[in-house]
Amino acid sequence: MAKEELREELLKELNEGVVEFDEERVKTAAQRVLDEGLNAYDAVMNGLAAGMEKVGELYDQQEYFVPELLMCADALYVGLDILKPHIRPEDIGTSARGQVVIGTVQGDVHDIGKNIIKMMFEVAGFTVHDLGRDVPLEKFVEEQLKTDSEIVALSAMMTTTMMGMKKVIQMIKDKNPNVQIMLGGAPVTSDVASLFGADGYAESAGNAVQEAVKMIGNLRKLQNQ
Amino acid sequence: MTKKERVMRQLKGQEVDMTPVGCTTTYAVVALQEACGYFRPQADTDPKAMFEMAMSGPKYVGWEWVKAMGWDIVPLSEAMGVELGPPTKDSQYYVKGHPYAESLDGLEFPVDFLSRGRFPVYKEQFRLLKEAVGEDMAVFGESEGAFTCAANLVGTEQFMKWVFKQPDKIQQVLAVTKEAAVAAANFAFDQGADYYVFAEPTSGPALLSPRFYKSIVLPLEQEIIKRVKGPVVLHICANTDSIIEMMCDTGAVGISIEEKANMKAAAEIANRKGVKVFGNVATATTLFSGTAQEVYAESKAALENGTHFLCPGCGVAPPSPLENLQQLRKARDDFFGINS
Repeated sequence: MAKEELREELLKELNEGVVEFDEERVKTAAQRVLDEGLNAYDAVMNGLAAGMEKVGELYDQQEYFVPELLMCADALYVGLDILKPHIRPEDIGTSARGQVVIGTVQGDVHDIGKNIIKMMFEVAGFTVHDLGRDVPLEKFVEEQLKTDSEIVALSAMMTTTMMGMKKVIQMIKDKNPNVQIMLGGAPVTSDVASLFGADGYAESAGNAVQEAVKMIGNLRKLQNQ
Repeated sequence: MTKKERVMRQLKGQEVDMTPVGCTTTYAVVALQEACGYFRPQADTDPKAMFEMAMSGPKYVGWEWVKAMGWDIVPLSEAMGVELGPPTKDSQYYVKGHPYAESLDGLEFPVDFLSRGRFPVYKEQFRLLKEAVGEDMAVFGESEGAFTCAANLVGTEQFMKWVFKQPDKIQQVLAVTKEAAVAAANFAFDQGADYYVFAEPTSGPALLSPRFYKSIVLPLEQEIIKRVKGPVVLHICANTDSIIEMMCDTGAVGISIEEKANMKAAAEIANRKGVKVFGNVATATTLFSGTAQEVYAESKAALENGTHFLCPGCGVAPPSPLENLQQLRKARDDFFGINS
């Protein structure tokens, strides 16, 4: 089989394996990518990540719900664990996309959405500092300063806990006004995000990464001025 | 017609003079704490403070019935041993740890369930409420439902994966939480509750597909509601359009929905099935961050779209302004020509 044909076939296997949450299929295909000497980064981006993109669409269309999404994420991680150690630095290039601090605010332990966003950032080439769930507000500030991350992504799933976001935003902006802050979670709307002083708002996992790329673009523009 | 008659007649589908207005979810709003002079976390643990907090709804914003059993949706989980994070003035009890995340060993319905957690506190609060409101106002109890409680016991993420990976374990946990739900609701009715709310956020389409709602949740709620000795209202957050019909088929006398769901369509389905709809003024946006005029307009729209009980769509955000909360009553009174 010609190499390009084989590449296409394995990308399709990885893609469909993620969409159909078939961990075995992903595992076999990922292993074959390595055995056949194909590019691991290509397999992650155009196989696994492309599959997850399709999953995002199915979720938006209400074909898939959270259990399906989590199953797909498990399948994606099976592939990522095999392929990631074989990604060469030159594949990613010198312009790593950026760093994100992410967490669910204090009082909120709903971290499914946060974990899915985290995965989307990871496959898109961001370095992610995950603080977990029920994160004390000052921890976001500390971690941002320590890692010099461009983006802080906050999640709250309850109307009653989303107020914590407002406090964190103030605390972070006081220390470092150039950080871009993105909000997400069920009760959060773009109105609430701007009311709280955030720079971005992600309605779903799919547009979180797009939004982050845009925010980093803004940030670099600011820094170049 | 007393306020209680209005609520109970409406629940039964009998004629009423006007749509009742109140809140069938949590409302320990900071402004109400300040108005009544009782604050969280005391209002979460002390029966007298919990009682005063409940009475602040009718007293300060004109709501027509009162809530018993605290200001969070973790009573069952707490009594089942779930570790909780502490409430503060502007945040409620929340699930911190999952006691059966690693293994289901030892998971069973405890014989002393109703003496665990804050059930003794609720009992005293019920007594105070019944003594204070008599036959004037209805009192309801509320807790999480069996599905949401089950997810709290093992962790929601794991529970969601079990839908595919280990459906037998889902049933094993639900067999226990089902008993907890029945016991809690029947406890409330024994204390004089007029109706009982099961909040089941974890079972809604924000997480679970309608397909699994049908195969897992619907039969569960049907069995529970059959075994509960009084009227049940089922609350599910987010956009529930795709499961309204099934929510109505659980045997609940009422369903409580958010603004993300279509009130008009829900009311049509519910009317057909003899079920009542509670809702659906937006909490995160309008009640919390909107203007009084916006709350008023949304309340009026909910009435026009056929809500049977004008209510916030979900638990009210703690920093919501008093003036906004007062708009529900104002809109209802104007709608029925009370002030004209």
